[in-house]
Amino acid sequence: MGALESGECRYVMLSYGHSALSSDGMLRMLGEFEVEDMVFGHFGAAAAYALAARRAMHVYRTGPGTWQHIAIGQRRWANLNPRAMMYDRPMSAEEYFNARWHVEPFRSPDNCLITDGGRACIITTAERARDLRHRPALVMGMGHDHPARSVYRTLDFTGGTGAKKAGEKALAMAGITLGDIDACEIYDCFTYTVELTLQDYGFFGPGEGEDWFRDGATEPGGRMPVNTSGGLLSEAYFMGLTPFTEAVMQLMGRCGERQLGPATRTKDPEIILCSDNGGIFQSHACYILRRP
Amino acid sequence: MIQRDAYAVVGVGYTPQGRVPGRTSQSFHVEACVNAINDAGLTKKDIDGLICYRHFPRSGDEPDVTPYRVAEQLGISPAYMSQDAN
Repeated sequence: MGALESGECRYVMLSYGHSALSSDGMLRMLGEFEVEDMVFGHFGAAAAYALAARRAMHVYRTGPGTWQHIAIGQRRWANLNPRAMMYDRPMSAEEYFNARWHVEPFRSPDNCLITDGGRACIITTAERARDLRHRPALVMGMGHDHPARSVYRTLDFTGGTGAKKAGEKALAMAGITLGDIDACEIYDCFTYTVELTLQDYGFFGPGEGEDWFRDGATEPGGRMPVNTSGGLLSEAYFMGLTPFTEAVMQLMGRCGERQLGPATRTKDPEIILCSDNGGIFQSHACYILRRP
Repeated sequence: MIQRDAYAVVGVGYTPQGRVPGRTSQSFHVEACVNAINDAGLTKKDIDGLICYRHFPRSGDEPDVTPYRVAEQLGISPAYMSQDAN
Protein backbone atom coordinates (compact mmCIF):
# COMPACT_ATOMS: atom_id res chain seq x y z
CA MET A 1 0.00 0.00 0.00
CA GLY A 2 3.04 2.20 0.40
CA ALA A 3 3.56 1.88 -3.36
CA LEU A 4 -0.01 3.09 -3.93
CA GLU A 5 0.30 5.83 -1.30
CA SER A 6 3.44 7.23 -2.91
CA GLY A 7 1.67 7.35 -6.26
CA GLU A 8 4.24 5.07 -7.79
CA CYS A 9 1.62 2.40 -8.47
CA ARG A 10 -2.04 2.38 -9.44
CA TYR A 11 -2.79 -1.33 -9.23
CA VAL A 12 -0.69 -3.67 -7.10
CA MET A 13 -1.03 -7.42 -7.57
CA LEU A 14 -0.25 -9.90 -4.77
CA SER A 15 0.53 -13.38 -5.98
CA TYR A 16 1.19 -16.84 -4.56
CA GLY A 17 1.90 -20.08 -6.39
CA HIS A 18 3.43 -23.36 -5.34
CA SER A 19 3.60 -26.92 -6.64
CA ALA A 20 3.85 -27.88 -2.98
CA LEU A 21 2.07 -31.23 -3.06
CA SER A 22 3.50 -32.66 -6.28
CA SER A 23 7.07 -31.44 -5.84
CA ASP A 24 9.53 -31.45 -2.97
CA GLY A 25 9.34 -27.64 -2.65
CA MET A 26 7.41 -27.45 0.63
CA LEU A 27 9.53 -30.13 2.26
CA ARG A 28 12.64 -28.21 1.27
CA MET A 29 11.17 -25.07 2.81
CA LEU A 30 10.21 -26.89 6.02
CA GLY A 31 13.69 -28.40 6.05
CA GLU A 32 15.06 -24.88 6.47
CA PHE A 33 13.67 -24.99 10.01
CA GLU A 34 15.80 -27.96 10.94
CA VAL A 35 19.58 -27.49 10.79
CA GLU A 36 21.05 -28.02 14.30
CA ASP A 37 17.64 -28.74 15.89
CA MET A 38 17.67 -32.28 14.58
CA VAL A 39 20.19 -33.47 17.13
CA PHE A 40 17.58 -32.63 19.78
CA GLY A 41 14.97 -34.64 17.93
CA HIS A 42 13.22 -31.56 16.64
CA PHE A 43 12.09 -31.77 13.02
CA GLY A 44 10.30 -29.01 11.17
CA ALA A 45 7.64 -26.42 11.85
CA ALA A 46 5.06 -28.89 13.19
CA ALA A 47 7.42 -29.83 16.01
CA ALA A 48 7.94 -26.19 16.96
CA TYR A 49 4.22 -25.39 16.99
CA ALA A 50 3.62 -28.63 18.91
CA LEU A 51 6.16 -27.49 21.50
CA ALA A 52 4.30 -24.20 21.83
CA ALA A 53 0.94 -25.93 22.08
CA ARG A 54 2.23 -28.38 24.71
CA ARG A 55 3.52 -25.50 26.81
CA ALA A 56 0.14 -23.78 26.50
CA MET A 57 -1.53 -26.97 27.78
CA HIS A 58 0.69 -26.68 30.82
CA VAL A 59 -0.09 -23.04 31.62
CA TYR A 60 -3.81 -22.89 30.87
CA ARG A 61 -6.74 -25.02 29.84
CA THR A 62 -6.29 -25.97 26.21
CA GLY A 63 -5.59 -29.05 24.12
CA PRO A 64 -7.42 -31.34 21.74
CA GLY A 65 -10.68 -30.63 23.59
CA THR A 66 -10.44 -27.05 22.34
CA TRP A 67 -8.84 -27.73 18.98
CA GLN A 68 -11.45 -30.27 17.89
CA HIS A 69 -13.95 -27.40 17.61
CA ILE A 70 -11.57 -25.51 15.31
CA ALA A 71 -10.72 -28.49 13.08
CA ILE A 72 -14.33 -29.69 12.83
CA GLY A 73 -15.76 -26.18 12.44
CA GLN A 74 -13.46 -25.38 9.54
CA ARG A 75 -14.18 -28.75 7.97
CA ARG A 76 -17.90 -27.90 8.01
CA TRP A 77 -17.13 -24.70 6.08
CA ALA A 78 -14.98 -26.68 3.62
CA ASN A 79 -17.89 -29.04 3.05
CA LEU A 80 -19.73 -26.03 1.59
CA ASN A 81 -16.82 -24.99 -0.65
CA PRO A 82 -16.39 -27.02 -3.87
CA ARG A 83 -12.81 -25.69 -4.26
CA ALA A 84 -11.76 -27.02 -0.86
CA MET A 85 -9.50 -30.05 -0.76
CA MET A 86 -11.71 -31.46 2.03
CA TYR A 87 -15.03 -30.56 0.31
CA ASP A 88 -16.32 -34.11 0.21
CA ARG A 89 -14.72 -35.30 3.44
CA PRO A 90 -16.85 -34.49 6.48
CA MET A 91 -15.24 -35.06 9.88
CA SER A 92 -16.92 -36.02 13.17
CA ALA A 93 -15.49 -35.55 16.66
CA GLU A 94 -14.88 -39.31 16.78
CA GLU A 95 -12.89 -39.14 13.54
CA TYR A 96 -10.90 -36.21 14.89
CA PHE A 97 -9.94 -38.08 18.07
CA ASN A 98 -9.18 -41.28 16.13
CA ALA A 99 -6.87 -39.53 13.67
CA ARG A 100 -3.21 -40.42 13.87
CA TRP A 101 -0.75 -38.26 15.73
CA HIS A 102 1.25 -35.95 13.53
CA VAL A 103 3.43 -34.50 16.27
CA GLU A 104 1.85 -34.81 19.70
CA PRO A 105 -0.30 -33.02 20.85
CA PHE A 106 -1.35 -32.43 17.21
CA ARG A 107 -3.30 -35.03 15.29
CA SER A 108 -3.32 -34.87 11.50
CA PRO A 109 -6.50 -32.70 11.34
CA ASP A 110 -4.70 -30.10 13.52
CA ASN A 111 -2.25 -29.54 10.65
CA CYS A 112 -2.67 -27.44 7.54
CA LEU A 113 -2.80 -28.99 4.10
CA ILE A 114 -0.11 -29.02 1.45
CA THR A 115 -1.52 -27.79 -1.85
CA ASP A 116 -0.63 -27.40 -5.51
CA GLY A 117 -2.10 -24.16 -6.80
CA GLY A 118 -2.01 -20.41 -6.62
CA ARG A 119 -3.98 -17.35 -5.55
CA ALA A 120 -3.72 -13.67 -6.39
CA CYS A 121 -5.51 -10.43 -5.66
CA ILE A 122 -5.33 -6.81 -6.77
CA ILE A 123 -5.26 -3.73 -4.55
CA THR A 124 -5.87 -0.15 -5.63
CA THR A 125 -7.24 3.11 -4.25
CA ALA A 126 -10.82 3.22 -3.01
CA GLU A 127 -11.47 5.90 -5.61
CA ARG A 128 -10.37 3.75 -8.57
CA ALA A 129 -12.17 0.76 -7.04
CA ARG A 130 -15.52 2.51 -7.45
CA ASP A 131 -15.37 2.20 -11.25
CA LEU A 132 -14.50 -1.50 -11.36
CA ARG A 133 -16.57 -4.62 -11.79
CA HIS A 134 -17.06 -5.83 -8.23
CA ARG A 135 -18.09 -4.18 -5.02
CA PRO A 136 -14.65 -3.70 -3.45
CA ALA A 137 -13.40 -4.73 -0.01
CA LEU A 138 -12.03 -1.64 1.72
CA VAL A 139 -8.96 -1.83 3.94
CA MET A 140 -10.35 -0.38 7.12
CA GLY A 141 -7.45 -1.13 9.42
CA MET A 142 -4.12 -2.89 9.48
CA GLY A 143 -1.41 -3.62 11.99
CA HIS A 144 1.86 -5.50 11.92
CA ASP A 145 4.08 -6.73 14.71
CA HIS A 146 7.08 -8.97 14.41
CA PRO A 147 8.50 -10.14 17.76
CA ALA A 148 11.07 -12.07 15.69
CA ARG A 149 12.13 -14.18 18.70
CA SER A 150 12.69 -17.85 18.01
CA VAL A 151 10.71 -20.49 19.83
CA TYR A 152 13.81 -21.32 21.90
CA ARG A 153 14.23 -17.84 23.31
CA THR A 154 10.76 -16.82 24.36
CA LEU A 155 7.57 -17.98 26.03
CA ASP A 156 5.45 -15.61 23.92
CA PHE A 157 4.04 -18.61 22.14
CA THR A 158 1.51 -19.21 24.91
CA GLY A 159 0.17 -15.68 24.64
CA GLY A 160 1.46 -12.24 23.80
CA THR A 161 2.48 -13.05 20.22
CA GLY A 162 2.65 -10.42 17.49
CA ALA A 163 -1.13 -10.80 17.21
CA LYS A 164 -1.60 -8.74 20.36
CA LYS A 165 -0.02 -5.50 19.16
CA ALA A 166 -0.92 -6.00 15.50
CA GLY A 167 -4.56 -6.53 16.45
CA GLU A 168 -4.60 -3.44 18.70
CA LYS A 169 -3.11 -1.32 15.91
CA ALA A 170 -5.56 -2.59 13.30
CA LEU A 171 -8.58 -2.01 15.55
CA ALA A 172 -7.34 1.49 16.46
CA MET A 173 -6.85 2.40 12.80
CA ALA A 174 -10.30 1.05 11.93
CA GLY A 175 -11.82 2.87 14.93
CA ILE A 176 -13.79 -0.18 15.99
CA THR A 177 -13.85 -2.80 18.74
CA LEU A 178 -13.98 -6.59 18.51
CA GLY A 179 -17.74 -6.39 18.95
CA ASP A 180 -18.01 -4.83 15.48
CA ILE A 181 -16.36 -7.81 13.75
CA ASP A 182 -18.78 -10.08 11.87
CA ALA A 183 -16.37 -12.91 10.95
CA CYS A 184 -12.68 -13.83 11.11
CA GLU A 185 -10.34 -15.33 8.54
CA ILE A 186 -7.34 -16.45 10.59
CA TYR A 187 -4.02 -17.85 9.39
CA ASP A 188 -4.30 -21.45 10.57
CA CYS A 189 -1.13 -23.42 10.00
CA PHE A 190 -2.28 -25.41 13.06
CA THR A 191 -5.51 -25.41 15.07
CA TYR A 192 -3.64 -23.99 18.05
CA THR A 193 -2.58 -21.00 15.92
CA VAL A 194 -6.25 -20.08 15.50
CA GLU A 195 -6.91 -20.35 19.24
CA LEU A 196 -3.87 -18.29 20.21
CA THR A 197 -4.44 -15.63 17.54
CA LEU A 198 -8.05 -15.06 18.60
CA GLN A 199 -6.99 -15.13 22.26
CA ASP A 200 -4.28 -12.52 21.65
CA TYR A 201 -6.76 -10.35 19.74
CA GLY A 202 -8.84 -10.42 22.93
CA PHE A 203 -11.88 -12.46 21.89
CA PHE A 204 -11.41 -14.53 25.07
CA GLY A 205 -8.97 -14.91 27.94
CA PRO A 206 -6.23 -17.56 28.26
CA GLY A 207 -7.82 -20.96 28.62
CA GLU A 208 -11.33 -19.73 27.84
CA GLY A 209 -11.10 -20.93 24.24
CA GLU A 210 -12.70 -24.29 24.88
CA ASP A 211 -15.89 -22.61 26.05
CA TRP A 212 -15.72 -19.87 23.42
CA PHE A 213 -15.47 -22.34 20.52
CA ARG A 214 -18.09 -24.71 21.94
CA ASP A 215 -21.50 -25.37 20.37
CA GLY A 216 -20.46 -24.54 16.82
CA ALA A 217 -19.68 -20.88 17.57
CA THR A 218 -17.35 -20.60 14.58
CA GLU A 219 -19.21 -22.96 12.23
CA PRO A 220 -21.99 -22.30 9.70
CA GLY A 221 -24.84 -20.91 11.79
CA GLY A 222 -22.45 -19.81 14.54
CA ARG A 223 -22.13 -16.45 16.25
CA MET A 224 -18.56 -15.77 15.02
CA PRO A 225 -17.75 -17.58 11.77
CA VAL A 226 -14.05 -18.41 11.48
CA ASN A 227 -12.23 -19.53 8.31
CA THR A 228 -15.25 -19.79 6.08
CA SER A 229 -13.47 -21.35 3.09
CA GLY A 230 -12.21 -24.21 5.27
CA GLY A 231 -8.94 -22.31 5.73
CA LEU A 232 -5.46 -23.75 5.49
CA LEU A 233 -6.67 -26.76 7.49
CA SER A 234 -9.42 -27.82 5.10
CA GLU A 235 -9.45 -25.63 1.95
CA ALA A 236 -5.94 -25.07 0.59
CA TYR A 237 -2.57 -23.75 1.71
CA PHE A 238 -1.77 -20.42 0.08
CA MET A 239 -0.27 -18.83 3.20
CA GLY A 240 -1.94 -15.53 4.15
CA LEU A 241 -3.75 -15.33 0.84
CA THR A 242 -6.12 -18.17 1.78
CA PRO A 243 -7.67 -16.15 4.64
CA PHE A 244 -7.25 -12.73 3.02
CA THR A 245 -8.90 -13.55 -0.33
CA GLU A 246 -11.72 -15.39 1.46
CA ALA A 247 -12.50 -12.23 3.44
CA VAL A 248 -12.57 -10.28 0.17
CA MET A 249 -14.87 -12.77 -1.56
CA GLN A 250 -17.23 -12.88 1.44
CA LEU A 251 -17.48 -9.08 1.51
CA MET A 252 -18.08 -9.06 -2.26
CA GLY A 253 -20.89 -11.58 -1.66
CA ARG A 254 -19.45 -14.15 -4.07
CA CYS A 255 -19.18 -17.26 -1.88
CA GLY A 256 -22.18 -19.32 -3.03
CA GLU A 257 -23.25 -22.00 -0.59
CA ARG A 258 -20.81 -20.84 2.10
CA GLN A 259 -21.74 -17.18 1.78
CA LEU A 260 -22.11 -15.46 5.15
CA GLY A 261 -25.63 -14.14 5.71
CA PRO A 262 -28.96 -15.93 5.36
CA ALA A 263 -27.43 -18.80 3.29
CA THR A 264 -25.42 -19.94 6.33
CA ARG A 265 -27.63 -18.52 9.10
CA THR A 266 -24.95 -16.01 10.04
CA LYS A 267 -24.74 -12.25 10.20
CA ASP A 268 -24.53 -10.46 6.86
CA PRO A 269 -20.83 -9.53 6.83
CA GLU A 270 -19.90 -5.87 6.91
CA ILE A 271 -16.54 -6.15 8.66
CA ILE A 272 -14.15 -9.12 8.54
CA LEU A 273 -10.86 -9.44 10.41
CA CYS A 274 -7.98 -11.41 8.82
CA SER A 275 -4.58 -12.52 10.03
CA ASP A 276 -1.30 -13.79 8.71
CA ASN A 277 1.51 -15.17 10.83
CA GLY A 278 5.02 -16.21 9.92
CA GLY A 279 7.77 -18.39 11.29
CA ILE A 280 6.85 -19.83 14.69
CA PHE A 281 4.74 -16.86 15.82
CA GLN A 282 7.65 -14.60 14.83
CA SER A 283 5.74 -12.23 12.56
CA HIS A 284 2.12 -11.16 12.44
CA ALA A 285 -0.16 -9.10 10.21
CA CYS A 286 -3.76 -8.15 11.01
CA TYR A 287 -6.07 -6.67 8.37
CA ILE A 288 -9.62 -5.48 8.87
CA LEU A 289 -11.67 -5.28 5.68
CA ARG A 290 -15.16 -3.86 5.20
CA ARG A 291 -17.92 -3.50 2.71
CA PRO A 292 -18.25 0.04 1.26
CA MET B 1 0.37 7.21 7.02
CA ILE B 2 -2.14 4.87 5.41
CA GLN B 3 -5.64 6.21 5.99
CA ARG B 4 -8.67 4.11 6.87
CA ASP B 5 -10.77 3.08 3.85
CA ALA B 6 -8.32 4.63 1.36
CA TYR B 7 -7.45 1.35 -0.37
CA ALA B 8 -9.45 -1.59 -1.60
CA VAL B 9 -9.15 -5.12 -2.93
CA VAL B 10 -10.86 -5.32 -6.30
CA GLY B 11 -10.23 -8.75 -7.77
CA VAL B 12 -9.29 -12.29 -6.80
CA GLY B 13 -7.65 -14.95 -8.98
CA TYR B 14 -7.99 -18.70 -8.36
CA THR B 15 -6.33 -21.67 -10.06
CA PRO B 16 -7.03 -25.40 -9.99
CA GLN B 17 -5.98 -26.51 -6.51
CA GLY B 18 -5.36 -29.70 -4.58
CA ARG B 19 -3.19 -32.30 -6.27
CA VAL B 20 -2.38 -30.82 -9.66
CA PRO B 21 0.68 -32.67 -10.96
CA GLY B 22 2.86 -31.62 -13.86
CA ARG B 23 2.72 -27.90 -13.06
CA THR B 24 5.45 -25.53 -11.96
CA SER B 25 5.05 -23.07 -9.10
CA GLN B 26 5.60 -20.27 -11.59
CA SER B 27 2.70 -21.45 -13.73
CA PHE B 28 0.37 -21.18 -10.72
CA HIS B 29 1.56 -17.63 -10.06
CA VAL B 30 0.93 -16.65 -13.66
CA GLU B 31 -2.50 -18.29 -13.87
CA ALA B 32 -3.64 -16.77 -10.56
CA CYS B 33 -2.48 -13.33 -11.72
CA VAL B 34 -4.22 -13.55 -15.11
CA ASN B 35 -7.43 -14.62 -13.37
CA ALA B 36 -7.18 -11.78 -10.82
CA ILE B 37 -6.69 -9.22 -13.62
CA ASN B 38 -9.71 -10.56 -15.51
CA ASP B 39 -11.75 -10.77 -12.32
CA ALA B 40 -11.14 -7.10 -11.58
CA GLY B 41 -12.04 -6.15 -15.14
CA LEU B 42 -8.56 -4.73 -15.75
CA THR B 43 -5.94 -5.44 -18.40
CA LYS B 44 -2.36 -6.41 -17.72
CA LYS B 45 -1.25 -2.93 -18.79
CA ASP B 46 -2.95 -1.57 -15.66
CA ILE B 47 -0.76 -3.61 -13.28
CA ASP B 48 2.24 -1.58 -12.17
CA GLY B 49 3.03 -3.30 -8.87
CA LEU B 50 3.75 -6.99 -8.27
CA ILE B 51 4.40 -8.61 -4.91
CA CYS B 52 5.10 -12.33 -4.86
CA TYR B 53 4.44 -14.12 -1.61
CA ARG B 54 7.43 -15.87 -0.14
CA HIS B 55 10.50 -17.25 -1.83
CA PHE B 56 10.49 -21.03 -1.61
CA PRO B 57 13.54 -23.15 -2.29
CA ARG B 58 13.56 -24.19 -5.93
CA SER B 59 12.27 -27.71 -6.35
CA GLY B 60 13.17 -30.42 -8.87
CA ASP B 61 13.67 -29.12 -12.36
CA GLU B 62 11.47 -26.05 -11.86
CA PRO B 63 12.73 -22.53 -12.39
CA ASP B 64 13.33 -20.45 -9.27
CA VAL B 65 10.25 -18.24 -8.86
CA THR B 66 11.03 -14.55 -8.59
CA PRO B 67 8.81 -11.53 -9.32
CA TYR B 68 11.02 -10.86 -12.35
CA ARG B 69 10.11 -14.17 -13.89
CA VAL B 70 6.41 -13.85 -13.07
CA ALA B 71 6.34 -10.34 -14.58
CA GLU B 72 8.20 -11.57 -17.65
CA GLN B 73 5.74 -14.42 -18.16
CA LEU B 74 2.79 -12.07 -17.72
CA GLY B 75 4.34 -9.58 -20.13
CA ILE B 76 4.24 -6.68 -17.70
CA SER B 77 6.90 -4.19 -16.55
CA PRO B 78 5.92 -3.08 -13.05
CA ALA B 79 7.18 0.12 -11.45
CA TYR B 80 7.41 -1.75 -8.15
CA MET B 81 8.21 -5.39 -7.42
CA SER B 82 9.02 -7.29 -4.26
CA GLN B 83 9.03 -10.74 -2.76
CA ASP B 84 7.60 -10.82 0.72
CA ALA B 85 8.81 -13.38 3.20
CA ASN B 86 6.69 -14.38 6.12
